[in-house]
Amino acid sequence: MPNKSGTIYGLTILSPIKHEGHIDTSHSLAIRKYLHKLPADGRGPFGKVSSTHMARLVVLDDVEYFGMPSCEDHLKSRYLIFESNFDGELETYLNDLATKASEEVHGIWQHCIGYPGVQNVPAFIAYMKRCQVETTFYFADVNDKTVEQTLVALQRQSAVASFIEKNQGKPPAELHRAFGEFWARLQKAPPPKPGSTPGKEFTDKLL
Amino acid sequence: MSNIHGKAYALNTISPMQPWKTYILRLFFWFWGIYKPLGDGLKQLSFIHFARWVIVPRHGFPWLGEPQPKNDLRYDYLLFFSNFNGTWNQYIDAFSAVLYDGLNLIWRWSEKFPGSRPVTPFKNFIVRGQPETTYYYTAYPHATTNDVKAAHRVQAALQEFAKGSQGLPPDKFADAYLQFLMKVQGDLGETGEAPVGT
Repeated sequence: MPNKSGTIYGLTILSPIKHEGHIDTSHSLAIRKYLHKLPADGRGPFGKVSSTHMARLVVLDDVEYFGMPSCEDHLKSRYLIFESNFDGELETYLNDLATKASEEVHGIWQHCIGYPGVQNVPAFIAYMKRCQVETTFYFADVNDKTVEQTLVALQRQSAVASFIEKNQGKPPAELHRAFGEFWARLQKAPPPKPGSTPGKEFTDKLL
Repeated sequence: MSNIHGKAYALNTISPMQPWKTYILRLFFWFWGIYKPLGDGLKQLSFIHFARWVIVPRHGFPWLGEPQPKNDLRYDYLLFFSNFNGTWNQYIDAFSAVLYDGLNLIWRWSEKFPGSRPVTPFKNFIVRGQPETTYYYTAYPHATTNDVKAAHRVQAALQEFAKGSQGLPPDKFADAYLQFLMKVQGDLGETGEAPVGT
């Protein structure tokens, strides 16, 4: 299935944006303004839907003309492109978007044609699926690890590097005890939050 | 700039194709999906987290009924989305230097594609069809693809060492610890803020 690589799903959605009526701010500009103010780290909508590895939103005004001898071509609607790479299945993900990031999802998609709101979750899922386009070829370099597994691995990598540095040259008995304590703390540590966590902050607390 | 978040860059390109040519490209993608040379090539580059090509037929842009006007397009469109590490220039240069055969096979069906070598016309082609990313999120902005792969290797080695060294006397533990260090020493880079580039 081209939409999937291993356990990662590659979602591509093209939502037509409402046409400009007699309004002060066009809908496409309103989306741009809203997205400009939205935090791009873990406080944003995709940090709340923690199965998201990477996601983007693009306001597409039109397709480009590449010059003669090709012909000019124009879209009759602007589109909001939503590209996401996440763990698991599509329906679960869309359900999470509607319930965990409902305010932001509404803030963005309220400017799109046919958007039914997020209160009626099945209707929202059906709407997003109508706007989905099938991926033709999908590549994920690491395609068998979840977001949480990757964040834990990154912080453990940082922690191990610091542990090695701080315990150089210690006698075997002391090293043995230090590692036992380190490993116990590491296992009890809460999983890091997605979106903005540099490894060193965690490591400094741990050691 | 929304195209960049931490160490990741979000590239979008959209190029028109004659509808009859998209069948040929679909055939290539189908072949590459089975025999994997494209996926293997991208894996070897090791600076792309995720990438995808999407062929949207000229009647395939979603139409949700009135009042949305119907599109009347002449071309099918090839959409390309990539999440990579490094700068735009480094990425296109590397693509052109290493994967030029694959790139030519993918984009030669697009209108006015100049070929992936020499690189300057190729860059002009990409720029022309590149809409800016409006919002970009990554769950691990401070990590490159190589960092992610190295971290998973360290994690696996750490768990194996922690389990295997349980109950060992200190001298034997120190020997096992040394073996563990040798195993992970190449994978212990520090993640953090990205360097500034162009």
